[in-house]
Amino acid sequence: MSDAPASTRAGLETRSLTVRYGGLVANSDVSITVRPGEVVGLIGPNGAGKTTFVDAVTGFTQCEGEILLNGTPIQELPPHERRASGLSRTWQSGELFGNLSVAENLLVAARKGGWRTLARDLFGRRKADAGRDLVENALAVVGLEGVTDTLARDLTLGQQKLVGVARALAGGSEVLLLDEPAAGLDSMESQAFASRVRAIAQGGENGAGDGDGPGILLIDHDMSLVLSVCDVVNVLEFGKHIFSGTPAEARTDPTVVAAYLGAPVEATHV
Amino acid sequence: MQTYVQFAILGLGLGAIYIGLGTGLLLVHRATGIINFAQGAMAMWGAYVFAQLRLDGTLTFPIGSIDLGRRPTVLVSALIGLLMAVLLGLVAHYLVFRPVRHAPVLAQVVVSVALMITIQALVVLRFGPNNIKVDSILPEGTWSLLGVEVSSREILMALIMAALSGVVWAYMRFTRAGVATRAASENERAAVLMGFSPDRLAAVAQVIASVLGTIAVTLGSALTGLNPENYTLLVVPALAVLLVARMESIGIVVVAAIVLGAFQSIIGLLVTKPWWPVWAQSGFDQIVPFAVVMVILFVLGRRLPSRGSLQTIRLPDVAIPKLKLVPTLILLAGGVAALALTTGSYRFGITTSIIVMLLALSYVVLTGYLGQISLAQGAFAGAAGFTLSKVTTGWGIPFPLSIILCGLVAAALGMLVALPAFRIRGAQLAIVTIAAALAIERFVFNNYSLTPPEGNPIAAATLFGINLSVREGRDLSRLSFSLMVLVVAAILVFLFIRLASGDTGRTFLAVRANERAAASSGINVRMTKLIGFGISAFIAGIAGCLIGLSRGQLSAESFTVFTGLQILAVAYLGGITSVGGAVVAGILGPLGIIYVLLRGVFDLGAYYPLISGLGLIITAILNPVGIAGATREQVAWVRRKLSRTPPAEPRSDATTATPTPKEPSRV
Ligand SMILES: Nc1ncnc2c1ncn2[C@@H]1O[C@H](COP(=O)(O)OP(=O)(O)O)[C@@H](O)[C@H]1O
Ligand SMILES: [Mg+2]
Repeated sequence: MSDAPASTRAGLETRSLTVRYGGLVANSDVSITVRPGEVVGLIGPNGAGKTTFVDAVTGFTQCEGEILLNGTPIQELPPHERRASGLSRTWQSGELFGNLSVAENLLVAARKGGWRTLARDLFGRRKADAGRDLVENALAVVGLEGVTDTLARDLTLGQQKLVGVARALAGGSEVLLLDEPAAGLDSMESQAFASRVRAIAQGGENGAGDGDGPGILLIDHDMSLVLSVCDVVNVLEFGKHIFSGTPAEARTDPTVVAAYLGAPVEATHV
Repeated sequence: MQTYVQFAILGLGLGAIYIGLGTGLLLVHRATGIINFAQGAMAMWGAYVFAQLRLDGTLTFPIGSIDLGRRPTVLVSALIGLLMAVLLGLVAHYLVFRPVRHAPVLAQVVVSVALMITIQALVVLRFGPNNIKVDSILPEGTWSLLGVEVSSREILMALIMAALSGVVWAYMRFTRAGVATRAASENERAAVLMGFSPDRLAAVAQVIASVLGTIAVTLGSALTGLNPENYTLLVVPALAVLLVARMESIGIVVVAAIVLGAFQSIIGLLVTKPWWPVWAQSGFDQIVPFAVVMVILFVLGRRLPSRGSLQTIRLPDVAIPKLKLVPTLILLAGGVAALALTTGSYRFGITTSIIVMLLALSYVVLTGYLGQISLAQGAFAGAAGFTLSKVTTGWGIPFPLSIILCGLVAAALGMLVALPAFRIRGAQLAIVTIAAALAIERFVFNNYSLTPPEGNPIAAATLFGINLSVREGRDLSRLSFSLMVLVVAAILVFLFIRLASGDTGRTFLAVRANERAAASSGINVRMTKLIGFGISAFIAGIAGCLIGLSRGQLSAESFTVFTGLQILAVAYLGGITSVGGAVVAGILGPLGIIYVLLRGVFDLGAYYPLISGLGLIITAILNPVGIAGATREQVAWVRRKLSRTPPAEPRSDATTATPTPKEPSRV
């Protein structure tokens, strides 16, 4: 292990992560690193194992191999403790709390229950609109306004995905795993979303852009989005990690082109 | 050794009933995805009709009866009993289960529990609450088995039921309708493609299950006589058998039923041995089904097939409560006035209503906010009540401390019951909790070495020298006691509102909405369930203490499984997601003010359980938001009309089912 200071902001690292569903190997020896401030792409056709990778890293499915967050192994932790140590995610299908308002969705992530919370709820003093700032900030980061008090299930799919991102950011995040967050956005919204992703990674939440933002793993089908926004791109195929490199390398790499892009093009929708 | 064999054989009578009920449960679950908690109650009706015909030749219907003049033969009586079973199966399908076939699991559980209390109440009304003798269809006799003289009747029963189960197995296996039923359990479309209506198949399954259960109970009750409570609750061991068979294999149902029956009978023998601890003598046989349920659910856990498990429980929306000073004061003043202006049984009825409101509130916490099902709230209340007897008379711990302590005991029990909820949910959680409730009732409340039969006196409360006892001299319902109940209830409601409007309430709602998403947002789901069960059981426990104080002493009858289920009924009826719903539930609840009025003014007290059961069936089907929710919607509607502003947005609610993703195969 390296010394402590270097590893405190080492981000997420998986080593030979392998997931089996019965006979199917959904992830085989996947080693991916996401450093703070970096946007890492993960692409691959449907069923390649992208969601499985996120599920394994965040503790929603059994896996073999090692998962390190800032140098500390976390694969034995239950999902909520992984979240507490700074690993957050969104879900491909949104998975908002449909019967709660957008603000409450974010507050769930920011203010957790427990015995101490219970005691404070019952007997402590309470501020009128605690957490309101946090909600407004998180929504501003993803570019959503005027929906604070809407029920989550009444949002459009695109808005739900954005609230999902805001929820993953609320309460602090070291590494953010985004599972197809842009599906459901039109191409204009997609472009806007891409620049927001960059801004978030650069710590743009506070407008500082000083590079202390979270590392982001971005899964998407939109090749132009991924190639334009990511520092590093990883490709999965049938659970195998067939490529890792810069977008420029990806565009010309024969395996990627053959397996996924079909033709060496600037941008295609796959 | 001989005696053991003889007792094992005697247990086959029970085993035969389990075969009938278990096979029926399995068939209905395959055809509809519903776990029918009313299976035992349904099976009992036809057997009662048969028994009454043989007793005095009266053919009894739910309403009215015909005197046939002389007693029909055994064969004719049995056929009439079975005809009733067929009709009951059809009624159950078309009027009760069909309307909720695509409803959330909770509604399905509630509907079948409602049917169970309805039929049980109807049996009590039509045939009386006491044990009645049933003619034996099978001859008595003995056979020699491996040199041991054993009773032949039980063996015949088990053989007949096993053979009938074999017929059901063959139906499922070899007929096109049976194959389509099995296919329908995976995918309704498959049944349609085979040319069958899944609906008709479900009706057929319901009828077969009803008939099978009725045959089993008719045969088996010759051994023990019929009794409404016991036979209704035989569904619990039958559910254990169903779980052992993983809800799939009829063969395993038969084997498990026989083993369980024989085993319970042998335990009945063992507890009479001198070396058996006295405190574990009564009700120990009821621990067995509960233990089986726990072990199976822990070992098999998620691997049990359950069509409901992917569906999140869809419940009415929650309106986060706010504490408003003026309405609160008006409500409190109203309560004080109502108590001060009444006397005797009416004041006692209002006091009971306040206590029942607390019991309903315990469901609001657990089901309304956290989305968990529990059929054991009555047992939590009872545990606290019985502890209060020990705490006040044995240790002399003074009031408020005494009931807080007992509430904590209930909370601990609640958290114990929460452990299975870590792994299971929906109907399976209902099975665990009803099995737990039954085990606690039989093993603790009915256990004379733990709760003496001459009664469990509870010392009256005093506080700062004020006498808070419920009666004194000829005053059977003192005002100071009722005001104490009101104050305790007000404190608990106040604390509930604090919690519900705080971070804890939000966390509960998040878990109710989506456990995965909650965990990925950093919520410790297990801890949250533990807290929820604990708080809910604490509230139920305080209510149990107040019941104890209001009676002065407790017996097992104070907290039966049915008491708990009736509370579920009124809680759901009132509206399970709000304090307002709990208040309505209190007003409607057992022995509450409406009950007192029914009894006093209309002389209808005996019909109360039936009315509450029917009311629950209708609510669960037609109006899942409950009375309070419906009122709130109407008030909102009237307000919109009055203010003449168009509604801001068409806010969907549970009645206009929102397009939540359903399992594709079932739509
Ligand atoms: N819980 C599961 N059980 C069994 N197989 C699964 C499960 N989840 C995903 N799979 C399978 O694993 C493979 C990868 O799926 P997934 O990770 O969702 O792909 P992607 O997100 O890249 O589209 C698919 O073949 C899928 O059917
Ligand atoms: Mg995916």
